[in-house]
Amino acid sequence: MKKVSVALMLMFLVASALVACASPEADSVLDKIQEAGTVVVGTSADYPPYEYVDESGNFAGFDIELMTEIAKRMDVELEWTDMPFDSLIAAVQEGKIDMSISCFNYSEERDEKVDFSDAYYTSEDAFLVAEDFAGTITNAEDVANFKIGVQSGTVQDEWVTTELIDAGLMEESNLSRYERVDQAAMDLQAGRIEVIVADSVPAQALMGQFGGFKIVFEDMLYTGPINIVLPEGDSELQERVNSIIAELQSEGFIDDLAVKYFSD
Amino acid sequence: MDIIRFIQYIASGTAYTLGVTFVALPSGLILGLILAIIYVYGGKIAARTLSVYSTIMRGIPPIVLLFILYFIMSGTINLSPFWAGSISLGVISSAYQMEIIRGAILSVSGGQMIAALAIGMSRLQAIRYIVLPQTLRLAIPPWSNEAAIVIKDSSLVYALGVPEILRRAQLISASTQQPFLAYTTAALIYFGLVLFTNTLLRRLENRLRIPANP
Amino acid sequence: MTNKILTIKNLTKIYGDNIVFQNIDLSINEGDTVVIIGPSGTGKSTLLRCINLLTKPNGGQIWLDDEEITSKEVNEDNVRQHIGMVFQNFLLFNHLTALENVKLGLIKVKKLDKTAAEAKAFQELERVGLVDRAHHFPGQLSGGQQQRVAIARALAMDPRIMLFDEPTSALDPELIGEVLEVMRKLSLAGMTMLVVTHEMGFAREVADRIVFMEKGSIVEEGSPEDLFNRPKFQRTREFLWKITELYGKKEQEE
Repeated sequence: MKKVSVALMLMFLVASALVACASPEADSVLDKIQEAGTVVVGTSADYPPYEYVDESGNFAGFDIELMTEIAKRMDVELEWTDMPFDSLIAAVQEGKIDMSISCFNYSEERDEKVDFSDAYYTSEDAFLVAEDFAGTITNAEDVANFKIGVQSGTVQDEWVTTELIDAGLMEESNLSRYERVDQAAMDLQAGRIEVIVADSVPAQALMGQFGGFKIVFEDMLYTGPINIVLPEGDSELQERVNSIIAELQSEGFIDDLAVKYFSD
Repeated sequence: MDIIRFIQYIASGTAYTLGVTFVALPSGLILGLILAIIYVYGGKIAARTLSVYSTIMRGIPPIVLLFILYFIMSGTINLSPFWAGSISLGVISSAYQMEIIRGAILSVSGGQMIAALAIGMSRLQAIRYIVLPQTLRLAIPPWSNEAAIVIKDSSLVYALGVPEILRRAQLISASTQQPFLAYTTAALIYFGLVLFTNTLLRRLENRLRIPANP
Repeated sequence: MTNKILTIKNLTKIYGDNIVFQNIDLSINEGDTVVIIGPSGTGKSTLLRCINLLTKPNGGQIWLDDEEITSKEVNEDNVRQHIGMVFQNFLLFNHLTALENVKLGLIKVKKLDKTAAEAKAFQELERVGLVDRAHHFPGQLSGGQQQRVAIARALAMDPRIMLFDEPTSALDPELIGEVLEVMRKLSLAGMTMLVVTHEMGFAREVADRIVFMEKGSIVEEGSPEDLFNRPKFQRTREFLWKITELYGKKEQEE
């Protein structure tokens, strides 16, 4: 066993040494994008209506359409890379993709590894329950008395973990984390959980798709605004993306999109 | 989304599943074969080293190696998700295939090697013409297990964003709220691939069977 | 003066504390058939393996013709193709037909082209009377037939000397005859042979010289006539008496 652990350690040492040797990219990602004429954007296309696969197998949704417009205004082609939500930050960090739009909320923890654009939309969080739900939730913290489901890695997950579990308001065993929000909806239907804490837009969408659900509480729990995730320390790219977002906001483009995707 | 399109979308991930399998399985076989020969005939130090290699590779969850190769090593070798996934699975498979082939080599009688040396063959010739042809026949049944495992493990590349069968099923499940149909489709495709591979290998085994072998 | 094909001087083999044999001296003339007899576990088989360099001796020297094959510079693979070996368990290559078994060494070791190798292989199978079994796999042959293919396989390499390690011990009694017959013909045809066997009838009839080994040493050697009828040592007499008890009756029955 000793040998094995020594060998494992050696392997990780070699791996980290290789990482350390790697020269940091000096050029701005913006230059790289413009030279290539293509921006590679990551998303996790399993979060309707922000990002999902439509009838013809193409990516569609609020974020998708927004990013398409941003790329157009950057005057480059847009290339999508789909990957699980959990992999997106690492992919931006390692330069595997140029940026990511996938309903990301700002968090300090994430900000240490990557940069964020200005918020392009502000969403609320919602508590989704079955129609026959008999409990009462007056303050957000009251939700701690129920069995909760969240999508793993989302800000709602972080909120429940830090504000409820770490604060001692609930047991961790009462929290179920799902890879995707529709899995949580199925468990809510089956009665395995009592409340889904989710972004209010997909929560409303779930209500429409599944039926038999209602929203009992809506608020900006954590940080409501959603942002594009950008590579750490690339201010040129950040400024360019921010100015386009500002343009789109003042032109009313984003509000139109919200009506298109978020109104039932 | 209508069902035909929906199934077509998931099924079009098969190309990636097959692609990953066709890289991982043969490269694992070649590497495993070479390592098995070194393990058996290469002396004590080689055997010990390879035993550690085998323990590590079989101990690491494939997804961890995948992440190491794709994210952590990206500064050194910038691999695409497809290649990072295929290589990781190939390397892990090489450890399993080494053990399969090593077991098969050991079950070919040592007398076969001696008889080959006795007519003046070198050790390498004896391995190449006498030991391996018998070994590989013995290795086909356990090897078809390994093939099934690699086909199924190829789904792990979804974590790097390769749009293979499982990832497509997830996306369809999310957009249509019909997880049962989506995952059943994926399961049936995997089942079909494994069944096809096993049938093919069983035919190969029968074709290569040595008549009345004691 | 006859030509010495194999000369062994002072050969010793030790496994750990166990002395397998010690200070063996032996030489074989071209065309002679020498039979080694003796109780089991006296190092006869190990001696053959040392001659074929399949086992390394701890001391002593061996010459094949004028070449010292125990010298360090010698290419062992090269030496072995000049020394044919037939094993107790036949050890045919299980995945190859009789013909391919004989042919393989010709192609891979002697580097003959396919046609020449096939012709030569058929010739050797003819010699052991098995041309009609050329395309059978070992599993489809009787023990006696397998051993005859093994002899053909060794002969195909045109060895200077053939070593037989108890070639009939693993055979059912009714199959022993066909193998001994092949060996008898081979000896008559002038092949140099060193045979370890318990078949006293064969030894008496075919051997030019018989060597009696016991407990890792050569006790005595001589012509069959001398050794069987006028053994010098009590140990030889006792062994011959025992072996006649065991095998002799059977021979009389045949």
